[in-house]
Amino acid sequence: MMEALDMRDDAVDQSAIAAQNALQLIAFSIGEQTYGVEITTVREIRAWNGATPLPNTRDYVRGVINLRGTIVPIFDLRARFGDGKTTPTKNHVVVVMSVGNKWVGILVDAVSDILTVSRDDIHNVPEGNSIDTELLNGIVTHEGRMVGLIDLLAVVSSARADA
Amino acid sequence: MSDLDEFKVTYFDECSELLGELEEIFAVIELGDRDSARINAAFRAVHSIKGGAGAFGFSALVEFAHGYETLMDQVRDGRVSMSDDVVTLCIRANDLLADFVGAARSDAPLAAEHGLAEKLQMAALAEGQAIDGELDDFDFDFTPIAVDLGKDEAETKIEVHTDQFADAPSTDLDGQWEISFRPHAALYARANDPLLLFRELAALGHMSVQAQMLDLPPLADFEPFGVYCLWTISLVSPDLTEAMIREVFEFVEGDCDISVVRLGEQTGTGENDVTVQVAISATDVLDPNINDFLMLSDDEIGAMIEFGEPDDLREAPLVGQETVGASIPQEAIAAGPEAGIPEPTSAKPIVELADEGDRRAVGVQSIRVDLEKVDRVVNMVGELVITQSMLTQQMDETLRTQYTELVRGLEVLAQTTRGLQDSVMAIRAQPVKSVFSRMPRLVRELGLKTGKTIKLEMVGEATEIDKTVIEQLSDPLTHMIRNSADHGIESGAVRLAAGKPEAGTIRLGAEQAGGNILITIEDDGAGINRERVLQVARSRGVVAPDADPTDEQIDQLIFAPGFSTAEAVSDISGRGVGMDVVLSNIRKIGGSVNVRSRPGRGTRMTLRLPLTLAVLDVMLVQVGQSRYVVPLSSIVETIQCSRAAFSRVPSGGQVLHVRGEYVQVIDLAERFELDGARDAESRFLVLCEAEGSHKIALIVDDIMGQQQVVIKSLEENFERVEGIAGGTILGDGNVALIVDVQGLKASDPHRTAA
Repeated sequence: MMEALDMRDDAVDQSAIAAQNALQLIAFSIGEQTYGVEITTVREIRAWNGATPLPNTRDYVRGVINLRGTIVPIFDLRARFGDGKTTPTKNHVVVVMSVGNKWVGILVDAVSDILTVSRDDIHNVPEGNSIDTELLNGIVTHEGRMVGLIDLLAVVSSARADA
Repeated sequence: MSDLDEFKVTYFDECSELLGELEEIFAVIELGDRDSARINAAFRAVHSIKGGAGAFGFSALVEFAHGYETLMDQVRDGRVSMSDDVVTLCIRANDLLADFVGAARSDAPLAAEHGLAEKLQMAALAEGQAIDGELDDFDFDFTPIAVDLGKDEAETKIEVHTDQFADAPSTDLDGQWEISFRPHAALYARANDPLLLFRELAALGHMSVQAQMLDLPPLADFEPFGVYCLWTISLVSPDLTEAMIREVFEFVEGDCDISVVRLGEQTGTGENDVTVQVAISATDVLDPNINDFLMLSDDEIGAMIEFGEPDDLREAPLVGQETVGASIPQEAIAAGPEAGIPEPTSAKPIVELADEGDRRAVGVQSIRVDLEKVDRVVNMVGELVITQSMLTQQMDETLRTQYTELVRGLEVLAQTTRGLQDSVMAIRAQPVKSVFSRMPRLVRELGLKTGKTIKLEMVGEATEIDKTVIEQLSDPLTHMIRNSADHGIESGAVRLAAGKPEAGTIRLGAEQAGGNILITIEDDGAGINRERVLQVARSRGVVAPDADPTDEQIDQLIFAPGFSTAEAVSDISGRGVGMDVVLSNIRKIGGSVNVRSRPGRGTRMTLRLPLTLAVLDVMLVQVGQSRYVVPLSSIVETIQCSRAAFSRVPSGGQVLHVRGEYVQVIDLAERFELDGARDAESRFLVLCEAEGSHKIALIVDDIMGQQQVVIKSLEENFERVEGIAGGTILGDGNVALIVDVQGLKASDPHRTAA
C-alpha cells in the first residue's frame, strides 16, 4: 500500500506535490488509544449489530456479517492487539475496508475523525514489542496525540492458524 | 480487444459448438445410421471450421480440416463408402480437429507430426477413389472478393438463352438446366454473396443469369437489407447432374428458395413455359432416386409432390404445375408441421428431411450470453428470494388482519419470485447430453483396448442439470465407465460360458427425481467380487480384521481411498481404480454415489446429484446461540436424544446405536466450542450420511425447520474454516453457517476430548 502511494510522489506536477504528500486517515479509538487507516481503503462504517461467530478461528475473529448479500468477516481489533475481547454495545462501530480483493470489517470502539497528515510526518514504529511492529505501518502525531497506522494485511492474516 | 479478436472469440465459440455437433453426429453414425443428412451435416460442420480458420490464417487447422473435409466430401458423394474403418478414422479426426482448434485458440502450435498419420490416411482414402478434384478449387475460396461477373458471362447469356432450347425435344440428353434462385434476407445476413455462387455455377458450364427485380420500391422506401431481386440462371453442360448444381447452393440451403429444372425434360406442350418449382431439400441431393425422379414428366413430378409415393403415380390425378409451384415453397415445407399447414400425409418423408436440413435456420432461437452475466442474475434472484422470505416472516397476525392488500401483494411477490428463480435456474440448465455424447467414443476405444465387445445404451440424455454440475460430471462418468468396461464386463468367451450374450452392455441413464438428478451406470458384467474386495480391504487396513461388513458395505468399499493406488486391486475382477476420486468429485458438488452389485449379473452405480448448486435445501438447527444449517441431501434421519441409545467408546467419545449400526457422535456445540446450555434430553440427533454409507450423528440443540438457502462463500472475503462448508443469509438478514458434514468426519474426532 505504502509503495503505491510512494509511486504517486514521483509525479512531476509540482503544484500537486503538497496535496499528494498529504495523507487522509480515518481515525478510530480503542480505549484511550487512537489508530488510523487510509481513508481510501474504507468502504463504509456501520454500527455494531452482532455477528455470527465462526467456530475454530482465533478469538479476534468475531464472526461474519451479511453485507448486502456478501459474507464479511469481522475482526476485533482490541483482541488482535492482545487486550482481550471487546464487549460490544450498540455504540461500537464496524469499519468495513477492502484489503487486497477482500472486504473485511474491523470492530472498534468509535470512529473519531478524519485526519489529514503529511507523509513526511510518519515515524517508524520503534523496535521492541513484535506486536507493534507487526501490526502498525508507522506512527504519526496529530494535535499532540499519537495515531498508529494500522497494517491491515497483518491484522487480517493468519486468522485461522492453530486456534 | 480489437474487432478481429472479437471475431476470433466468436469463431472459437462456434468451433466448440461445431465440434460437439460432429461428436453427436458420429455417435449416431457409429450406431449404424449412415443417413446422408447426417453425413452432410458433418461435412458442413468441418467446412465451417475450415472456412473460419482460413479467414484467420490458422494454416495448420485449415490443412487438417481440408483433408478431413475432402474425405467427407467423397463419402457424401458415395465415392468412399462409410465403412467402420472410415467412421473410426473420422471419430479420431474429430479429436484431432479439436486439438488443432485448441492449438489455434491458445496460439500454441502442435508438433508437425500431430495428426499426420490420420491426415495421410484420409488423403489416401479420398484420393484412392476420387473421381475428380473439381471441388478443391471451390473449397479454397474463402475470402469474399468483390469481382464483377465480367464480360464472359454476359456474352454467354446471349449465347445460351433459354428460348433457344424451349422447343428442344425431350429426348435431348444435353443438359440444359434452369435454376431459379430467390435468396431470403437471412442469406445476406450470413454474409453470403450470390455473386460467388454464380461464379461456382459458371464453372460448371455455360451460364446465363437473369436478374428479376421483384417489386423494387422507390428509393425512399428502399431497405438496404431488403431482398428485391431473384435470379433465373440457365446452365448448359452435357454431363451436369442436379446434385452438382445443388452442391453449389449447399451452404445457403434454407436461406433461399431454389428450384432446379432440367429443361430438356419438358414435354413441350403449350403450358410448359411455366417453371415447375420442385422443392427439394439439400438433404435429398444424394438420394439415388433423384435422377429417376427427374426423368419423370413434370405432370408426374407434380403428382409425386402432391402424393409422395411413386406407386401412386398412375392413379394420381394430375395436378397443374402452377399449383404445385405455388403451394410448395421450401419454407412452407420446413415450417409445415409446426405452422399447422395441412400437409398430405404422404409428403411426410420430404417434410422430415427438410426439417433436419434447415434445423439451423428454423430451429430454436438462441443467444450467446456470458456465463458471468447469468451468474449475476442468479445471485440477485437469490437475494430476492431471501428478501421476499424476510418480508413474509415480518408479517405477524396483527399486520395480516390490518393490511390485507399488503398480504395479497406479498403472496403474489412470493409466487413471482419463485417463478423467477425457476426460470433463472432453467437458463443455466443444460441437457446431460453434452457429457453423455462423449461416452460412446470412450466405450468404443475401451472395447478396442480390452478386446471386448461392448454396447453402450443411453437413456434420458435430455435431462437437464445445472451447467456447473454438468462440468463436474465428465471425469467421474469417464472413470466409472472405464471401470465397468475394464473390470465389470467379462471377456466374450467368459460371457458365453456364463450363458450371456457375447457383447457386454453398459447402460447410461439420467432422470430427474424430485430435486435431484439420478445418473445410473449399469453393466451386465460379473459384478463385484466381494470376497476379493474384502480380502484386499482387510489387508490394507481399510476394514478391521474382525469386522463383518454386509454385502452392501463391501460394495461401497470400492470407494475407499486405500483402494485407488494398489496395482493388485486392479487385477481383481471387482473394481477399485480411482473410484475414491469419483466419490470425492461427486461429493464436491453435493452429490452421493451408491453402488449395487449382483454377482454374475452386473453392477449398478447411481449418482445422486443436486439439480443446481446455487440453491441448497437445508435443515435449520440451533446450536448454542447460533443457527447452523445442514444440507438436507446428507441427512438420513433425525432422532430425539431422549430416545437414542448412546454408548461410550474408550476414546471418551460417544457412539450411537441405531438400526444395528454404531455411528460416531459429534456434539456440534462441543466441536464448535459453543455453550450448549440446553438440557441433554431435549436435544436432537441429526443422522447424516458422510462417506459412502458411512454415517455420523450430529447433536444439535434444536431443529428449527427446513428451507432453501443460497450458498455464500466464506473464502471470498475470509478463508476456509474447518467444519464449515460456507455461509448463507437467513430471512432476518443474519448469517448462518453451513455444516460441512464430510469435513467434520474427516477432522480428528478426539480433538474435543483434549
